[in-house]
Amino acid sequence: MSEEKGKAVIRVKDLYKIYRVGDSKVRALNGVDFSIYKGEFCAIVGTSGSGKSTLLNMLAGLEKPTKGEIIIAGEHMETKNENQLVKFRREHIGFIFQSFNLLGTMNALENVALPLTFQGMDRETRLARADKVLNLVNLKKHKKHKPNQMSGGQQQRVGVARALVVNPEIIFADEPTGNLDSNTSEEVMNLMKRVVREQKQTLVMVTHDNHLASFADRIFHIKDGKIIKIEDTREELKEQVNQ
Amino acid sequence: MRFIDLWRMSSSNLWKRKMRTILTVLGVVIGTASIVVMISLGLGLNKSMMKEIEENGGLTTITVYPDYSNDTQDDNTERQLTDELVETIGEIEHVDVVSPVLNINVVGRYGSYENTYMNVIGMTTDALSKMDIELKEGTVPQKDAGTLQFLYGNQVINEFYNSKGGGSYWETGEVPDIDLMNDTIFIVFDTEAYWNSKYDDGMSSENGTPVVPPKKYLVDTCGVVAGGPEDYGQYSWNVYCDIDELIKQLKKVFKNKAIPGQPTTTSGKPYKELYYSSIYVNVDNIDNVSDVQKSIVELGYQADSNMEWVQSQQRQFGYIQAVLGGIGAVSMLVAAISIANTMMMSIYERTKEIGIMKVLGCDLRNIQALFLMEAGFIGLIGGMAGIVLSYCISAIINAVVKQMGTQMQLSFIPIWLSGLAIGFAVLVGMAAGFFPSLRAMRLSPLAAIRND
Repeated sequence: MSEEKGKAVIRVKDLYKIYRVGDSKVRALNGVDFSIYKGEFCAIVGTSGSGKSTLLNMLAGLEKPTKGEIIIAGEHMETKNENQLVKFRREHIGFIFQSFNLLGTMNALENVALPLTFQGMDRETRLARADKVLNLVNLKKHKKHKPNQMSGGQQQRVGVARALVVNPEIIFADEPTGNLDSNTSEEVMNLMKRVVREQKQTLVMVTHDNHLASFADRIFHIKDGKIIKIEDTREELKEQVNQ
Repeated sequence: MRFIDLWRMSSSNLWKRKMRTILTVLGVVIGTASIVVMISLGLGLNKSMMKEIEENGGLTTITVYPDYSNDTQDDNTERQLTDELVETIGEIEHVDVVSPVLNINVVGRYGSYENTYMNVIGMTTDALSKMDIELKEGTVPQKDAGTLQFLYGNQVINEFYNSKGGGSYWETGEVPDIDLMNDTIFIVFDTEAYWNSKYDDGMSSENGTPVVPPKKYLVDTCGVVAGGPEDYGQYSWNVYCDIDELIKQLKKVFKNKAIPGQPTTTSGKPYKELYYSSIYVNVDNIDNVSDVQKSIVELGYQADSNMEWVQSQQRQFGYIQAVLGGIGAVSMLVAAISIANTMMMSIYERTKEIGIMKVLGCDLRNIQALFLMEAGFIGLIGGMAGIVLSYCISAIINAVVKQMGTQMQLSFIPIWLSGLAIGFAVLVGMAAGFFPSLRAMRLSPLAAIRND
């Protein structure tokens, strides 16, 4: 794995997260080191309680690490205050949620444009951009629909569009298909993979499902707060081809 | 975030929860209306008082007297009221009308009727016409009339008494049978000589010659002030005339003698100049009266106006207003608490939404602004509706008071009060929303990605 090593978009060094529960300490993350490179689709896989969600939260700046460094797009996350983190997310990060988390008062188009609203973009420009991104995720017919008028798959596609619209350096996805049936899951995963490839985005996905993880370029297996294995599906592919 | 987007989001949030918004707004409506109506009562009282003062006395009038109180010099001519001073005062800013006033006591006679207490006030015709004296008949003394003309106050007639018995108006209640307008009234200017001749017992003359009764002059009447013998007004008791004609007349009457009321030299000789008894000053606006008064005092003269009394009255009404407003403020406080409660509820409900917004990169300040604006909106809508309600209540109060037979406008809401009330309502709303909005700002974004 040397030729695809471009620029490291995410660099995690010796990361610890220790929760205090009563008198005992729980080590959610126990010394994690890895890098994620530009244009990669990575999956973090583990059972519940393995620390995978904690890791994602810290990468997105939603939680503070107890110890260690997180460098995203050249900036240290652990030293930022909440305001700086919000600003950083606004400019560099897209987020896809398990339960979609669209705002019920807004239609699909407005939901997608929401992060642009936070950037202070004017209404016309941001709606035009949201419109383009919705076309990209095949939701041409549902632009004016409110979340409760759409199926789960459609809602998650709006969610994907919302993450893409700011053209972020990294997209984080937290169990993006957790609330979808397997067929729809497959659809959404394929969509995500395609769009990420086309847009040359970097995607970090957290899941407990090994099958879903197999869509990724690299798979980080995490257990008890430690990365136990990093699989590279591309190399496997190469090997298969070679054989 | 742009302001317009904040505006759009917060108003749509309120719209989404119509019922709750309406109920909260209702609290503000009642709060605003109670404060405004209470204050309007105080303002109405104040306004009625001012109107009353305007009717008898005028608020913009300043009377200037020579100030003897701090005069250490023997020669008091320096502090006398001269034409020069009249001119100086005329040059003070905001002075609208200025006129010298010459006050003199004369005796009026018509047949057997006599009025020994006629107070004649000479002023410039300019000032007289600007004083807006309401007339029953005739005109105010006109400029260049050529002769001395009197304008009688409506109660002057009461002072005529029948010297051949029959008693005065005060004893009998009968108004003397004189038509001031058309009957010829004779005036005696030299009252001292009049009294001397009247009670002459032969001894008052120093060298044996009998006292010659003073000459009486026929003075035309140019008008009579409106009102019956019992209607007291500020012009009721005096006789007004053109000061230039009066001076001419007095010089003619007294020749080289001192005119009564005028200062004399130590040897009893009159000064060459004629000094005025007071100076009438009218200021263009009530607000400037105090300033003008101060400037005149600084010149070294005494200046009187109704202002001090009015100010103390206004202070009293101010207390009344504060007490009434305080009562109204209690309901506003209740409204503020209900706004805070509504915002709190709203934030609990929208924990997830706020979290999502934070994850998506909404600035913390914007989140706070969003909730502050919602609270402010409640205040704004409530304030405006409250003002409408206040005008309705005010109209009802005034209608009821009118039915009870008073002319007074008890409740009065000026425009500034409406504006202030709306501004206050917005402020109260935002103050009530402040802590909830802080809470919203501090909510953890993790709440959003918790899957429940």
